[in-house]
Amino acid sequence: MAVYKQTYKGYSGTRTTPWLRFFILSRYSYARLFQSKFLVLFLAACMFYPLGCAIFIYLSHNIPLLTALRLQSGGMPPIDGAFFNVYCVVQGGLAFLLTVLVGPSLVAPDLANGGMSLYLSRPFSRTQYVAGKMTILLLLLSLITWIPGMLLFLIKAGCAGWDWTRVHAWLAGSIVLGLWIWIVVLSLIALALSAWVKWKVAAGALILGVFFAGAGFGAAINNVTGTHYGAFIDLMKVVRTVWSDLFRNSSAADLSLTQAWTVLGVTCGLCLWLLAKRIRAFEVVK
Amino acid sequence: MMKLWCRQIVSVVRLEMKKTFFCKRGLWVYLLAFAPVVLYMVNSVHITRQRRHLAQIGAEHPVSQAAFNNIKTGLSRENVVAKLGEPYWQRTRYHHGSDGRKRSFVLYKYTDGKNDFMYHFEDDKLTWINRRDPEKLAESQLIFATSFQFYFLRLAVFFGCVGIFVNLFRGEMLDKSLHFYMLTPMRREVLLAGKYFAGLLATVVIFTSSTALQWWAMLWQFERPVIVEFLAGPGPTQFAAYLGVTALACVGYGSIFLAVGLIFRNPVIPAAVVLLWESANPFLPPLLKKTSMIYYLQSLCPVTAAPDKNMPPLINLLISPTEPAATLAAVTCIVLLTLLVLVLASRVARKLEINYGTD
Repeated sequence: MAVYKQTYKGYSGTRTTPWLRFFILSRYSYARLFQSKFLVLFLAACMFYPLGCAIFIYLSHNIPLLTALRLQSGGMPPIDGAFFNVYCVVQGGLAFLLTVLVGPSLVAPDLANGGMSLYLSRPFSRTQYVAGKMTILLLLLSLITWIPGMLLFLIKAGCAGWDWTRVHAWLAGSIVLGLWIWIVVLSLIALALSAWVKWKVAAGALILGVFFAGAGFGAAINNVTGTHYGAFIDLMKVVRTVWSDLFRNSSAADLSLTQAWTVLGVTCGLCLWLLAKRIRAFEVVK
Repeated sequence: MMKLWCRQIVSVVRLEMKKTFFCKRGLWVYLLAFAPVVLYMVNSVHITRQRRHLAQIGAEHPVSQAAFNNIKTGLSRENVVAKLGEPYWQRTRYHHGSDGRKRSFVLYKYTDGKNDFMYHFEDDKLTWINRRDPEKLAESQLIFATSFQFYFLRLAVFFGCVGIFVNLFRGEMLDKSLHFYMLTPMRREVLLAGKYFAGLLATVVIFTSSTALQWWAMLWQFERPVIVEFLAGPGPTQFAAYLGVTALACVGYGSIFLAVGLIFRNPVIPAAVVLLWESANPFLPPLLKKTSMIYYLQSLCPVTAAPDKNMPPLINLLISPTEPAATLAAVTCIVLLTLLVLVLASRVARKLEINYGTD
């Protein structure tokens, strides 16, 4: 066809259903992310602890093996709220590291290279853009957090029987809710900081800084003032307070449950505000 | 030749000065460095005001020390009020117990002008007494040492060095301006040295001034004779030691993150690894402890930090106590490590190729 004939023509092919369009971004991002061998190795390493837990649950119900090892099933640590609370702390920490690895490269390159207008000039809203980018993290983090957690619960339920499952059904809800809260907070922080600094290296350092320096400065506030106000900026402590309550694990916390939920709510609100401010189809260059 | 290299290094430092001190990308470093100063200032102002407030209450409603000594748990609320008078602050709360009975919890505060006494009554019976004495200089020194070692060195100086030193090369890549340096008739090693000294100057100025201001803000709450006595004794040595440790931390971490910025396209992963390694230092066996920078820096600190009271006992058991390194050995190790890293970084810099498209 002659070049002069190739003028603008509206797209006439089939369109993706509007409510599924956000998934296009996730699909392409996964294809790019899984090219990284380091990420795949890290994901595999994240499965070691759940695997260990699964083996432990299986062994604690294997009476012949326990007898051979001269152990009693009653002498083994119980599989209860405290067990799954520790699981959440370990996998939550790994989820944080995975966020530091993946999160910064989600929004920053689009903003830095002026790609936002290309996305938003299509029938694709800002909400869909954020949902698409967030889905990448939510699915990846789910893979190493609540999905193996639920598998552990099911293994235990299978070994212990219906009575245990009925009495401890609340644990399943706590695993899903507790870890979903954490992965939503992590995803929002990663997207907001990635959008804010526009440089993926700085965004990664900032995510690390928000958690580590926040915890450190919080401890310094507590140390200098002799109060517990520092716990408000220590997001890991905040989420641990929520987990302790969800898993009915009594521990002396610096924060009350209401305060912990308020801090999480304020953090999510702040991240959404930052995203609404930065994710725009235009940019004023000074 | 040496003269020319020195002149070139000075030129690079001069060019980098504005970028390291006032770069928009690095302004958060100031927040990280000076946040503890604000914290100490706020605390000192609060304590000074509280002290004045207690002295005023003590003068208006004088209560003898003997009267306070006579108060024991088990006394009724009326008895306490009869002996000490009305409290200057009180709070009453009611809770329903498990048996459905309404219980009262009352908190009374008294002062003798210096100390604060808190009396807690349950159903009008005194159940516990809390006496809060004014903060002593020794306590403040311990608090300073803990904050300095656990927040300032491990996190503020660490992240500050990440921000400034990684930016020296990686930032130029991002701004697509590194080729200007590469086109000048200057050895790569000289460029690296110039950039390192520029970063070092910035971090040392920012973080040592923060340390000095923290020290000043910490001492501000005390009365003049206490400060004079302290400064006539161990004060200046401690102050110099803290400044020296801060500068050495910048020297050591700076070299590591300069190399990281040169070698890795994404310096966050190695920075996270170094951070985890440094954080895990208390739990490492003695030999491995000596491979981390924080071990030598903590050895040089004049006051040993208090252990974390909130640490679970099981984790506390994992901490392996190790003798601190001798001053000379600690300084030598940090300097040697820095030189080694800089030599390796200069070898990498010689083969450095620009690829602006990847960041």
